[in-house]
Amino acid sequence: MNVAGIGIVFSRGRGLDALAAALREGWRAPTWRAVTSLPGAEMPVYAVDDALLRDRAILGQMRRADRFTKMAVLAAADAVVDAGLMVAPGSTDVGIVVASGLGSHATAFRFLDEMLEFGEAAPSPTLFSRSVQNAAASHIALHLGAHGPTTTLTQFHLSFQQALLVASAWLSEGRCSHVLVGAAEECGAVMEYVCRERIRLAPDGRIEPLRFGAAPEAVPGEGSVFFVLARDRASRCYGTLEVAPAPSLDDADLVLVDSDGLTEDETPYRAVARARAVAAYSPVYGSMMTGTAFHCAAALLMLRDRLRFAVPVTENPHRLTVSLVPEPSDPGRIECIRHGCGEQVGSVRISR
Amino acid sequence: MKDVVISGLGVISAAGIGVATTRESMRTGARRPGPVSVFPSQLSYPVFEVARLQQDDPAPGLRTLDLARTAVLEALQDAGLLPLPDGRRVGICLGTTVASQVNDLDFYRAYRAGAPAKLDSVERYLHGNLAGALQRSLRASGPAVTVVNACSSGADAIGIARSWITAGYCDIAVAGGADEICSVPLSGFGVLGILSSAPCRPFDRDRGGLNLGEGAGVLVLETRESLESRGRSADLVLPAYGSAIDAYHLTAPHPEGVGLEAALRWALRAAAITPEDVDFVNAHGTGTMDNDLVEAATLARVFGKDVRFLSTKGITGHTLGAAGGLEAAFTALALRDGEVPASAGFATCDPQIGIHPLAQRTRVERDHAVSTSLAFGGGNAALVLRRTRERR
Repeated sequence: MNVAGIGIVFSRGRGLDALAAALREGWRAPTWRAVTSLPGAEMPVYAVDDALLRDRAILGQMRRADRFTKMAVLAAADAVVDAGLMVAPGSTDVGIVVASGLGSHATAFRFLDEMLEFGEAAPSPTLFSRSVQNAAASHIALHLGAHGPTTTLTQFHLSFQQALLVASAWLSEGRCSHVLVGAAEECGAVMEYVCRERIRLAPDGRIEPLRFGAAPEAVPGEGSVFFVLARDRASRCYGTLEVAPAPSLDDADLVLVDSDGLTEDETPYRAVARARAVAAYSPVYGSMMTGTAFHCAAALLMLRDRLRFAVPVTENPHRLTVSLVPEPSDPGRIECIRHGCGEQVGSVRISR
Repeated sequence: MKDVVISGLGVISAAGIGVATTRESMRTGARRPGPVSVFPSQLSYPVFEVARLQQDDPAPGLRTLDLARTAVLEALQDAGLLPLPDGRRVGICLGTTVASQVNDLDFYRAYRAGAPAKLDSVERYLHGNLAGALQRSLRASGPAVTVVNACSSGADAIGIARSWITAGYCDIAVAGGADEICSVPLSGFGVLGILSSAPCRPFDRDRGGLNLGEGAGVLVLETRESLESRGRSADLVLPAYGSAIDAYHLTAPHPEGVGLEAALRWALRAAAITPEDVDFVNAHGTGTMDNDLVEAATLARVFGKDVRFLSTKGITGHTLGAAGGLEAAFTALALRDGEVPASAGFATCDPQIGIHPLAQRTRVERDHAVSTSLAFGGGNAALVLRRTRERR
């Protein structure tokens, strides 16, 4: 699938330039936020600045939409602009696939707030309609005026890989000429509590993605990234994305590991020791179940700019071949892998 | 394009547990709505619950997964695929609404109160992803994904699974939807003013809204080559799936049914058939004023004013993410049995709608049928099914 456009919103800004700048700069300390229901407790978060979500031109018609939806719509809209894609009114030729590990949970919890405060007969109906998982996809379609196939998927750590599979099938069936596929994650107050109680948080706010330990540490992040995927190669093309049936570590010029501390055990990543070169950028955007989507954006930037960003780590205990400073590089093929729960593993192949 | 056949069916709903009892309910049109019993509620809307849901090893708090597992195992048994054969890539694609969110009021009440909120419900949620949980328990080796497109989730899951097979991502796919009765949608649909306080009456002049239901409906899909290599034949085919979005409103359907019409026309074109080839449409037919008006007008526009259609929600209630899976299975059963059930709950023609659903059981005369699903968010799905003359 040819990548014709990319849009991104994350804790360090909006747009590919912001991503490139963040990758060049490397690690930056996260924000420390009070955990609402745990007095005195704080936790590190890579949160998206609310100011980024005040784009009136794009979001003016959806002021009441939630943060999750706004992040997704911004990233999707930017990807479409980046691709120079014109969606004809009434067109069914552009598909939309939204992937998320946890979805718009903050709105769902706000609806529970109202059920508890006002009783089950009196919550806000608007809040209920906004709490459905596919609200973001619907808003993207509304913004674009696109009437093509639209779906929202969740498979926790492998949600984005599954979204790419659907996009690939739709393009090869001729169902559409372009598919806008992306991922979004939100870190709301309840999820922060859950993270604080359930996973190990990096005490210094630093994800160390190359430790590959049995007790990894995370820093929750949020944001959204979208790609315009085209069946045909257009003049503007960052490269190609394909889901690989299984990781192929030996053939890749660079292996991106989407290790970010969210799974209970990262030792399976140790298999990448045989790769020619390894990189990991979760310290730049934080821990997200759909982090692979962000890594794909980073990989496509590296293809475009013919360089390899420095890996923002302080530890490399397995002595992997990594770049600690930005280096000119011309990788033909980058493989991004993510291990989910148990034996699940997903692999996305990014090629020039 | 590969021929995708339907080699197994599994259903569970208020209409019955399993194909045999469900078929009898469809034949008689028996309706069994009642008050909510699976959780405490002050709301008096009737619902369609599954009675006597049993599992050998019930997973506490995971009712949707129990429902899904029941239907999946029946479908796989029907397909002769239990246990799953070695060397075949089996994908799992299931739709849901309730199981994709942490809807646990006890957990949330404790969280709000500042008390240590036990994370049991979060753990259940994290282990209850339908496709993931069933992939693990079945040791299936193909792709797995949970579709969360609100009320078209089940139909979309079947359509996506079909795409997997034609793209060669798997040899066999287990696809459909599952959802349980839950306090959150009961409250949400209630405050939206679209729940009926009486048994629902889809497409009827006096319809007063929908009734919630629960259940699961699952199809086993595979290529004809895969099926024949197992020494079996199929009498049902899934020639096409159409999908389109209204891009109009979060909860209301497009008044001119723009997305539904696009989904239907795409599906008919992909199946290489004309509207005249379709014997009947198993409509989404929720019993709300808006849905039924828009859907019927669209069906009349696409298939003509003599279109034969029905809603089975009068027997199952609206099972949300399960609805598309259940109704695809009901459509398949009607094609196989050669008889379309009556549209339960319908009695009086609505002059605003102008056409009416089947008021009595009717013989199937043509080989194609369509199942439609509409969703919050504006999603629309259309599945085309075909019967063949092959014997199983």
